[in-house]
Amino acid sequence: MNRDIFIVCNSVDELGGITTWSHQMAGLFAARGHRVHLVGITPSTVRHKLADDLPYDTTTLYDEHPPQAWSPRTFKDKANVKARRMQQKRRQGMQEQADKMSAMFRGAGQGAVVIVTQVWAMEWVNLSDTSGLKVIGMSHESFEACRQSSRFARVQRHYKDVDRLLPLTAEDADLWIRQGMNNVDFMPNPLPWVPERTSPRSEKVVTTVARLAQEKGIDMLLDAWAMVSPKHPGWTLRIYGAGEDEQLLKQQAHRLDIDGTVEWMGRTGDVPGALYGASVFAQPSRAEGFPLTLLEAMVTGLPCVAFDVAPGVREIIQDGEDGLLAQPGNIQAFARQLGVLMGDQQLRDTMGERAVVNIQRFSADTIVNRWEELFAFLEL
Amino acid sequence: MSENIDPVVSVVVIVYNDAERLPTAVQSVLDQTLHSVEVVIVDDHSPDRSFEVAQELAAAHPGRVRAYQLPENSGAGGEPRNLGITKCAGRYVMFLDSDDVLELNACRNMLEAAQRTGADMVSGLCVRTFLDSRNGKIDKWYEWLYRSTRVLDSVLELPDLFVFDTLSTNKCYRLEFLRENDLRFPKGLLYEDLLFAARAYLAAQRITLIPNEVYYWHVREKAKEKSVTNRRHELTNFTDRIEIHRRIDGLLRDGGHDELRLAKDIKFLKHDLVLHLRDLPFRDQGFRHQFAELARAYMSGMDDAAYDALLPIHRICAYLLMQEDWPNLITAVDTLINRSKVSSTLTERDGRVYWCAEHLDDPRAREILDVTELGYHAATVDAMVLRNALTAYDQDAKGIRLAGRIVNPLGVIPPDARLSAQLEFKARRKSLQQFSFPVDTLQHEGDFIGWSAQAELASKLRPLGFIDAVWDVRLVLSVNGKKTTTRLTVGDTSLEGRDRLRSRPRLTRLVSDTLEPEISAKGHLAFQLVAAGSMSRRSRKAIDQALQGAPGAVARAGLRKAKQVRKDLKSGVTKIRAYHEVFLKLPVRKGTVVFESHLGKQYSDSPRAIYEEMRRQGIKFTPIWSYAGKPDDFPKDAELVKRWSWQYLRALAQAEFWVDNQSYPIKLAKRPETTYIQTWHGSALKKMGFDSPEFRTKTKDQQASQQEILDRFDHFLVRTEHDVRTLVPAFRLPESKVVRTGYPRNDALVAAWKAETEGGSRVRGPLAEELGIPEDRKVLLYAPTFRSGPDGRVRRFEPPFDVEEFADRFGDRYVLLMRSHYLNNVVLPPSVRGRVIDVSRIHDVTPLYLMADALITDYSSVMFDYALLDRPILFFAYDLDEYVNSLRGTYFDLTKHAPGPVLQEKDELYAALDDLSGTDIAWADARKRFVAEYGEYDRGDAARQIVDQFFRRGSKK
Repeated sequence: MNRDIFIVCNSVDELGGITTWSHQMAGLFAARGHRVHLVGITPSTVRHKLADDLPYDTTTLYDEHPPQAWSPRTFKDKANVKARRMQQKRRQGMQEQADKMSAMFRGAGQGAVVIVTQVWAMEWVNLSDTSGLKVIGMSHESFEACRQSSRFARVQRHYKDVDRLLPLTAEDADLWIRQGMNNVDFMPNPLPWVPERTSPRSEKVVTTVARLAQEKGIDMLLDAWAMVSPKHPGWTLRIYGAGEDEQLLKQQAHRLDIDGTVEWMGRTGDVPGALYGASVFAQPSRAEGFPLTLLEAMVTGLPCVAFDVAPGVREIIQDGEDGLLAQPGNIQAFARQLGVLMGDQQLRDTMGERAVVNIQRFSADTIVNRWEELFAFLEL
Repeated sequence: MSENIDPVVSVVVIVYNDAERLPTAVQSVLDQTLHSVEVVIVDDHSPDRSFEVAQELAAAHPGRVRAYQLPENSGAGGEPRNLGITKCAGRYVMFLDSDDVLELNACRNMLEAAQRTGADMVSGLCVRTFLDSRNGKIDKWYEWLYRSTRVLDSVLELPDLFVFDTLSTNKCYRLEFLRENDLRFPKGLLYEDLLFAARAYLAAQRITLIPNEVYYWHVREKAKEKSVTNRRHELTNFTDRIEIHRRIDGLLRDGGHDELRLAKDIKFLKHDLVLHLRDLPFRDQGFRHQFAELARAYMSGMDDAAYDALLPIHRICAYLLMQEDWPNLITAVDTLINRSKVSSTLTERDGRVYWCAEHLDDPRAREILDVTELGYHAATVDAMVLRNALTAYDQDAKGIRLAGRIVNPLGVIPPDARLSAQLEFKARRKSLQQFSFPVDTLQHEGDFIGWSAQAELASKLRPLGFIDAVWDVRLVLSVNGKKTTTRLTVGDTSLEGRDRLRSRPRLTRLVSDTLEPEISAKGHLAFQLVAAGSMSRRSRKAIDQALQGAPGAVARAGLRKAKQVRKDLKSGVTKIRAYHEVFLKLPVRKGTVVFESHLGKQYSDSPRAIYEEMRRQGIKFTPIWSYAGKPDDFPKDAELVKRWSWQYLRALAQAEFWVDNQSYPIKLAKRPETTYIQTWHGSALKKMGFDSPEFRTKTKDQQASQQEILDRFDHFLVRTEHDVRTLVPAFRLPESKVVRTGYPRNDALVAAWKAETEGGSRVRGPLAEELGIPEDRKVLLYAPTFRSGPDGRVRRFEPPFDVEEFADRFGDRYVLLMRSHYLNNVVLPPSVRGRVIDVSRIHDVTPLYLMADALITDYSSVMFDYALLDRPILFFAYDLDEYVNSLRGTYFDLTKHAPGPVLQEKDELYAALDDLSGTDIAWADARKRFVAEYGEYDRGDAARQIVDQFFRRGSKK
């Protein structure tokens, strides 16, 4: 059955994981014959040029970013007429934009669905008329990461009445259920791409691809590298990416006396190439949802070492089977796991080959099938 | 309107005499987010309008609701459900009772799980909702079984599910599965759910558990009457319960499921039996005997292993019931209901502690009645909750006369103790008022303390009125100045009075005018303020109505607000704000030093050593010691402030010096004029601070706020360059804050070592005599590091070797001092008395080091300090791999650097102890190297250096 599928996200033209995901899913749904409408609430501040020949519509509701949400807390706030008037205007503006969506929804055929990728966008969907459509909300991060953020309360408020709320893993779903949400299922992300050939794992290179920011944990990787690399001469740690901590990290590497074995590659436009040239992938992040870089590394045939910081990580890597995990923050353990792979070619090959096979459970086809089954189930 | 649906799920709603609530139950199905649902109503031939209502619902929702009726009443829920099963059209079936409701997503979630996993049955969380409760009390039914989604290929994978969740209603069954296995409810028996659920669990090839709330079980609590009666119907219930259990046992026997049988027996003893035991004190002798007969006939078939898995009090109660030892059983039931209470006199025999002196000739009884592990024998009277049995009650219009006796377990109250006591009346809902009455008589009677008292409640107890309706009674007993609070257990003592007990509430007598004795849920005496006079009864009714209306709501909200204000005033948030906004603005008090050791838990360690050195030198200063818990062992000549009290906050805010070995409350900022001397409490083997995994995982912001806490330190004491290499960077301290004096607490150790090497003899000190250590035994100190459970919680320390075996093997040569970390505790049996001694509660460890001829430890920092004495150290690292490798990481390899043998097996430890002098000699060089590398600044003058540097007139800060 071909459906009208509305994917509503914060923005359709920004550089970021969720927008990338939205375009990927829109393309996949369109390829199955669905009529896909990609709706962004606001234009991105740094616009990203979209291709001209997309097989689906894109719409952005606002012409410019709406004013920040604000609610009066104190008596003084309540007396702030100017701010209150701004808010009134904001609310009116929201309703106007929501009405645009209502009009789009009214034109949809039988069995239409709305997929809301972020809870912020859900505030507009809640103001629109979705009668006759199934509404699916998503949380693209781990429960724990969400719990530590301002989104936690908003997810519980704005996603309360959606037909299904989808976090990324079964484990996250259980946590949401125990938090009192009874409309929860889960949906993993699909593999973003499939390489033409897998890595031969012939280079003595450990690699990582990450923004050089604190949450990505490169500092911990450097500490671990300082422990493990003296025992494995000839090996290089190749770090792709740039970011605000670049200088700090380079100083740290210098202090640790590992300048000779660490290569700073800067940002790359060729992730497949970067992965192809490595034999082991390291992911030292402090927080993750359902990390695409792990999917990419595994589909390229690399055995991975990661800190076990989220259900999504242990969902992707089956510890000891197609990769190795370390307890969060335990540098020694991370170094030990890297050492295990660096010192054993046969293990690298076995795990790398298994990774390619096992990761197929997140292939685009499998994931799209899951979505279609979900749409059908919600009609029962 | 007709809705043609092809139902996927059928919900069988059974009803008996419940016409009023049936539509709500049915509506909760019709409102399901899953649309393809039908309702099959089955009426158990109710005399009321239930069936008509059911037919009306069917007519209103054709195609979605159908109604059936049994030809005659069946008396239980089984038969209606059986009929319902035969009428279902869906592929899946669920059961709902007419007074309960389904969660709105229940069917969707159940179906999703069933289809995804191919399960024969899916079970979700049932929530008991207490409709009569004022504050919306709920109880999630065996929630721990439903923490995460689980798929079981057999119930044998999770025996607890079989044993505990015996409901049939919170589940969704594949209809074909029920039919193929001919699963039906038993006829005409209560507890029909138990048998049905058991059969379904055993037949299912796949069971899926989901954490979703699916079923709301509406509970209406009726006040239980507590008086001595012969309740025939309770015996019938018990008979039915046992009959169901017998049938389930039969199923398990046929299937060869011994493991399930054991789990079920354990549950029977722990739960089913306890339900009835609780009421036994209020039943007459005839009832008790018949009950015991029934229970015995069933329980005699149980395996001993079932008893071994129980808590001591459960197995004791079951055993005493079997023996029909009523006096001991009725006493034990008190502890069963009030877990922390000691209700029996207890008895010590052959080095073990037993619940009672009877039955001990039987070896099996000894095992059951052994309560040594509970550590009663090591508790002081103020740490015990003692049973206080009411033996006499009389009342007249003016007041009450009471008598009772308090148990004296193991003679914890000595015959010559100074005793005093008073009766206290306190409102159950927090109130400002409390009334006390003296006791008339109080005498030591050996196993008991007898007492009597009278209280003129009519004139002296003045409640406010309707907000403090229930008054609890307590007797506070003081033994040599130590207090213990007891509640009065009523048991079978009659609470009849000669006259109505009048009361004069302060607000108004219009609402209530009488105090009536009652028995609380825990079996204790309490009084309730009621309306007995005609005037009061009328006005009470009017007021109750008003309370439920709008004015009442306003009044209640006001009361809540007032309570909240009081709570806020005492809360940490308020205190922290006051600290920063008020106290920190007051001037610094020159010469004040606030000392704290281990979060106020001890008077010990380097802060103590510095304090004592200042005293010795006669420095003029104002010492303030912080304590948590009790101030008993803190110095009398210093000002003592309780941690987190207002005085404490003020003292910290205005102090000139902070001297501490761990951390002051992390939310409290330090003003620049205050100098913080952080003595720290030990060199590190395991990774600390920013080197530890828990710090590394923190975000930038979290790390920054952690850094602020550490930046409060102005001076940081180290005892070795190892500290400078490890702790200093781990806390990100600049070199300028490092003070290389060594630890003041270790001065005494260095002095003792010097004295010994200069030919002096080893001095054990007065503590050895206090602990009763004989001259001819060597002293071993066992000081392992802190251990927490897998969930990170503090747990009791279980010695990794059998202390009785240890005492038997080494008792003639050694006395073993056992020191668990101050966050753990340990229980030793009386049999090892004098041979193994618990020294965990002694604040200061230094005298213990001085006394000990050898140390046994593992990864604790005590190794660094004790090494200064140059005496043998044995490392009993039985969990080396787990502790050092997988969890935290260490700064150095213990097995390479340890100044003594690292032993992983108990036999290795024993062998090393057998040849202690050999071990001593073999490791002498290693110890010297260790001290040189990990203790070079501990030279015996640390305290003096600190005082010179900071506290002498004109010294720099």
